[in-house]
Amino acid sequence: MSTAYASSATVNERARRAMDAWFSEIAEAKARGKKTVALMVSGAPLELLRAFDLVPIFSEVQALQLAIKKKSLPPILRAEQEGYASDSCAYVKADLGLLFSDAAPVPDAILCNYVGCNVYVKWFEHLAAYTGAPLFVLDVPFARTDVSSSEDIRYVVRQLEEMIVFLEKVSGKKYDPDRLREVLALSARAEEAWSRCKELCKRRPAPFDAYFDAINLMGPANCLRGTEVGAEVLELAAETYAALASERKGPLPEERFRIVVEGPPPYPAYRSFRDLFAKWGAVGVASTYSCVGGLWEFGWRHDPTKDPLVSIAEHVLRENLTNRSLLDRGDRSVRWLREWNADAFVIHSVKSCRLFSAGQGDERERVREAGFPVLMLESDLEDPRYYAEAPIKNRIDAFFESLEQARALSARRGS
Amino acid sequence: MFARGSCGAGVDVGSTQTKAVVVGPGHTVVGRALVPTGAQIVKAAERAFEEALRAAGLPRSAVGKVCGTGYGRFKVTFGDFQSTEITCHARGAHHVFPATRTVVDMGGQDTKAVRVGPSGEVVDFVMNDKCAAGTGRFLSAAADVTGLTLDQLGPVALGGKEGVRLTSVCAVFVESDIMSYLAQGKAVPDVLAGVHRAIAARTASLVRRVGIESEVTFTGGVARNPAMVRALEQVLGTSINVSEASHFCGALGAALLALERAEAEVGVAPVEVPAAKWDDGTAPSGENGGTA
Repeated sequence: MSTAYASSATVNERARRAMDAWFSEIAEAKARGKKTVALMVSGAPLELLRAFDLVPIFSEVQALQLAIKKKSLPPILRAEQEGYASDSCAYVKADLGLLFSDAAPVPDAILCNYVGCNVYVKWFEHLAAYTGAPLFVLDVPFARTDVSSSEDIRYVVRQLEEMIVFLEKVSGKKYDPDRLREVLALSARAEEAWSRCKELCKRRPAPFDAYFDAINLMGPANCLRGTEVGAEVLELAAETYAALASERKGPLPEERFRIVVEGPPPYPAYRSFRDLFAKWGAVGVASTYSCVGGLWEFGWRHDPTKDPLVSIAEHVLRENLTNRSLLDRGDRSVRWLREWNADAFVIHSVKSCRLFSAGQGDERERVREAGFPVLMLESDLEDPRYYAEAPIKNRIDAFFESLEQARALSARRGS
Repeated sequence: MFARGSCGAGVDVGSTQTKAVVVGPGHTVVGRALVPTGAQIVKAAERAFEEALRAAGLPRSAVGKVCGTGYGRFKVTFGDFQSTEITCHARGAHHVFPATRTVVDMGGQDTKAVRVGPSGEVVDFVMNDKCAAGTGRFLSAAADVTGLTLDQLGPVALGGKEGVRLTSVCAVFVESDIMSYLAQGKAVPDVLAGVHRAIAARTASLVRRVGIESEVTFTGGVARNPAMVRALEQVLGTSINVSEASHFCGALGAALLALERAEAEVGVAPVEVPAAKWDDGTAPSGENGGTA
């Protein structure tokens, strides 16, 4: 094994250790006199929490960890026993099921950053009802235009000011804008590094899989953003991938197809799902899912030199996938396909996730119009019952067979 | 007869039936066979292959490459490679009807719509997801309830005048729907006409997602059902190609892919020998021909 490959494993190991340390921090928070706040990944005003030295709990991450370890079904069933519908978001059911079994950390406060997924609001209202923890809802409007208006920014900033009052009560500390600026600077470092990693995937071969490998770094990017360790892990990743790229090494022995992937992975079948693509030499060079915490690959960063609340408002309002229009989503996917020199678009549709899945049919048409072949698959991100390997494998195989055929035909025609 | 390794063979292992086709160097079918799949998939594949060879009157050595297809394609252990039935049905349909640009394949539990290019290559495809509603399974349910065989369903349905409206979202619930109509005194042909229309409607929406481009060719076991062909033509608003051996299209496509690989490896031009011709449904005949 070359040094380059060993380094890639090192990055993942570092990320895993950092995440484990964070999980321990949550578990030990009460004992150490620290307060925990539950919040959502998309459009998270995480920096503000860190400025108050509050420990964040990301319920979605809790849920996906369960699924990856193949432990998501019992809590889902438990939640369904309590009355949660079979077709409602399985993240919610896994998380609340865990709570009903007294196996989930109870947050001291709940912050619902609503940035497009209305299920978030209900989820956290239920969490508040079950735990008695105080709930604050941050309402971030859908982006109706490319550039958010000053009214939109003001609307969010005013809520952030109210949130500060809420967080002062929860933490027992006073708001310190200089501390917040320090945190923003650390976020900016993490964002810069993460963005460099993504940029490197424009190379041939891509040094890592921006869908399947990205989940290792999404933890630090989305949950550890604003901390020193978060910045360090991502900077190590950027260095490592740059080295791999210069040695022209990628995650597979041969990169035969470059794909842009839309939608979260089927976590309960994560490894076998990945193998179905690896068999064809298909590497993710860009993905929508890796951007759920924020869109940093097109240049935007948190800016400590600005009014920090305005910077946070810009992030939650503008630099997200989840509050964009369907047209915007389609255009952005085409941009990824073109700028990252991809061969095809793969959609993993999750019926119980309306936010991601609504509009994927239209997105499919938009991408086809732009001249890219599209594969559409369906299962679930959290519930193992929805993953049927044989039909999924069949579709993946048929799709890449057709791409192979198309290549062979072009070669024969000399085009 | 045929030079060693000059033929290609395809074995299509489906959920209910396994089909095998052998094509000769002239790209024509020289033998074919059909056996029930059962639980012993590997044995079924072997048997189908052996019977196809017997029908062709050829030794095993005449076959250069074997391609497995269908859900059980990885169980064609004696095969050289496999290919999905999407690719194979497209090739097979295009071989029989060279102007084919859209293939509708209806099997026991899934339905596929495939858009095909000028060389029989797959351009796009769509399949029913997770649920077998509106697939051949519907017909099995109808057969169960009415006490008819699958082969009788089509001709009886053709006699139906007014097709009744049936649920098309669950192949299990449709049984109670059918029973309810029969209890009301509706004639069996009318009920069956409704069943076919429900399947056609569901299939049509699948096909429209991939785009309907003429000519449309119908493959798979259900294509042998004349009422299904008629219902589909009515709903799609276009005439549809059907071959007598439509359910062999997958194995045929696989055999053609196998032949291509055999030729590529050997690098020899096809040998000119008399071979059975199998085109628009006429049974193969002649010294080297044979039927299942």
